[in-house]
Amino acid sequence: MLAQLLVGGLGTGCIYALVGLGFTLVYRTMRMVNFAQGQVFMAGTFLGLFGAQQFGLPALPLLLLVAVISFAVGMLLERVVFRRLYASHEVFVVGAIGLGVMIENGFRIVYPEPLPFPKIFGAGVYHLHGAVFQKTYLWILIVTLVLVAALHVMFAYTRTGRALRAVASDGEIAATMGVNVQRAIGATFGLSFAIAAVAGVLIGPLYFVSPDLGDMVGLKAFSAAVLGGINSVVGTILGGLALGLMEALAAFYISTDYKDLLAFAILVLMLLVRPQGLLGRVVPVKV
Amino acid sequence: MMHRLAMLAGALMLLAGTASAQDIRLGTVIPLSGGGASYGASIQQGLDMALREINAAGGINGRKITLDVADDASDPAQSVIALQRLVNDNDDLVIGGWGSSQVLANMAVAERAGMPYIVVGASNPRITTSANKWTFRTLTNDNGHAARLAEVVSLLHFKKIAIIYDTNDYGVGLRDIFTAGLAKQGIKAVDVESYQTSDKDFTAQLTHIAAAEPDAVMLFGTLPAIAAIMNQARDQGIDARFLGAAGLSNEAVMKLAPQAAQHAIATAYFHVDTDATAKEWAARYQQAFAQANQAPRPSQAAPAYEALKLMAAPCLAQVGTDKDKLRLCLKAWHGTLFGLPPAEAHFDDTNQLLAPLVVEEVVGTEFKLLPGANQ
Repeated sequence: MLAQLLVGGLGTGCIYALVGLGFTLVYRTMRMVNFAQGQVFMAGTFLGLFGAQQFGLPALPLLLLVAVISFAVGMLLERVVFRRLYASHEVFVVGAIGLGVMIENGFRIVYPEPLPFPKIFGAGVYHLHGAVFQKTYLWILIVTLVLVAALHVMFAYTRTGRALRAVASDGEIAATMGVNVQRAIGATFGLSFAIAAVAGVLIGPLYFVSPDLGDMVGLKAFSAAVLGGINSVVGTILGGLALGLMEALAAFYISTDYKDLLAFAILVLMLLVRPQGLLGRVVPVKV
Repeated sequence: MMHRLAMLAGALMLLAGTASAQDIRLGTVIPLSGGGASYGASIQQGLDMALREINAAGGINGRKITLDVADDASDPAQSVIALQRLVNDNDDLVIGGWGSSQVLANMAVAERAGMPYIVVGASNPRITTSANKWTFRTLTNDNGHAARLAEVVSLLHFKKIAIIYDTNDYGVGLRDIFTAGLAKQGIKAVDVESYQTSDKDFTAQLTHIAAAEPDAVMLFGTLPAIAAIMNQARDQGIDARFLGAAGLSNEAVMKLAPQAAQHAIATAYFHVDTDATAKEWAARYQQAFAQANQAPRPSQAAPAYEALKLMAAPCLAQVGTDKDKLRLCLKAWHGTLFGLPPAEAHFDDTNQLLAPLVVEEVVGTEFKLLPGANQ
């Protein structure tokens, strides 16, 4: 019984972590929160559905294709939309929320009804200590691990990764060192879109695809990022996993009615007690 | 020249005004987005079909019917605004209303405005009370559904019953009525779980249900949630039979849970195999909407079609669009509906239509009458 909850909680937690990483990447670079992240996640699920149904793509090529397309869309939207919203955080937040509403309602016009997602990760189930879970959960776990490892390698060891970190640390100094700051910011948005969209494909076979799929996931992922520390990659991942597990356990041992209450109570508590999150650090304001 | 143009424009406006004034304005408040979209689109198809037939035959006493659609996005607050818009549009009557919470919220608008309102998509008993003057309901309410489901429990000898219900008026109402009926059979549910309409993950509830090892699971909610529950329950190894009320009687369930929904039982307002008229109607309906955005779903479209074609249209022909006369005509209506066991249907003192139900099960890609449950 506990194993069932742990598997379910871990799976959900991985999704929160991945979508939360999208928040973190943009926040680290821009000090701004992209509240359209949940809708990007939802659009990724639709993109995966389209690729699976129209081209019959198997899981791995489908994930790669969705990542590449979403990366390009992220860069494009940064250039066309987000770049014009950098004037202030308030403008950016309202603009991002507006973009999210537009994306969601755009999909709603074309797809008013929920749709089933094919079992691209295999139709069978695994048995583990009395728990029964779909093969999709294993894919969620493995892809999350691979993505986190790839991000770590990229940020630590590649020229592009170092450039992104330099821009995140101080854009002006990075520019004087020859880093193309605009391109780095575009790549950051591309990465955040790609990760959220991949998370969308991962979750597709577990749920139905519908335009409201990203509403709650987006908010929970943001809570996870704040819980772990929104400027910390490791913190966000831990925050996502912790939130997923706590939700599953609270829903079972307390009541399903309080599942969402718990997530947002944690968010409020963390903002009150430790606004920088578990592993986040206070960034001093330079005068 | 200007004078002539002004006269021409005036004449055209007068003509246009006369034409629209002659039309009968039928309003409908339905969800075309949100969780209830598949039900709302079916209601609209049912109304569209009846309307096309009536207009093709020359209208009602020479007056065409036009349809005024208000989308409530499956949301009670928006459904109040949507029905108010239909009132403001000076519609002659309203047929629609899907979701008990939505109808319980919006029916006050119809009562206040004196708008004949025929509900074809909500079954909570509290919708029809002796205070109703303008609101009618053509669907058997949840007292009827719960009683038929209790009969099925007895027929199929289910002993260990789990319940999972939506925390809206529909789900809570069914839970309470069914549980009380079950107690009369000396059965207490082995587990009762709740969920919110927009929930996607039911692991926690299903883990409780799996531990209770039921032989039947009652699904008191609507699509897509109950289809997701069935899929996730089978994934968790729960092999109990699923039972539900009209929320489950929607052909979309075969698309959303093609394997998990097999042999799921539903109490319904229509089945194609009950009589020749139902068969003939279903064939015409399927043909008319074969190319529509949403595949035709007879179970949900039939009540809307019947409300307009068999109840409202004869009254409109008899008394015209005077709202009070229309209300009194509807109140006195009686007749036989197709797609149900043969019985004369009529409205009671609370404007609730008294009519039978059918019990069906999912077999392959269609609903079949449940053997032994429809005598």
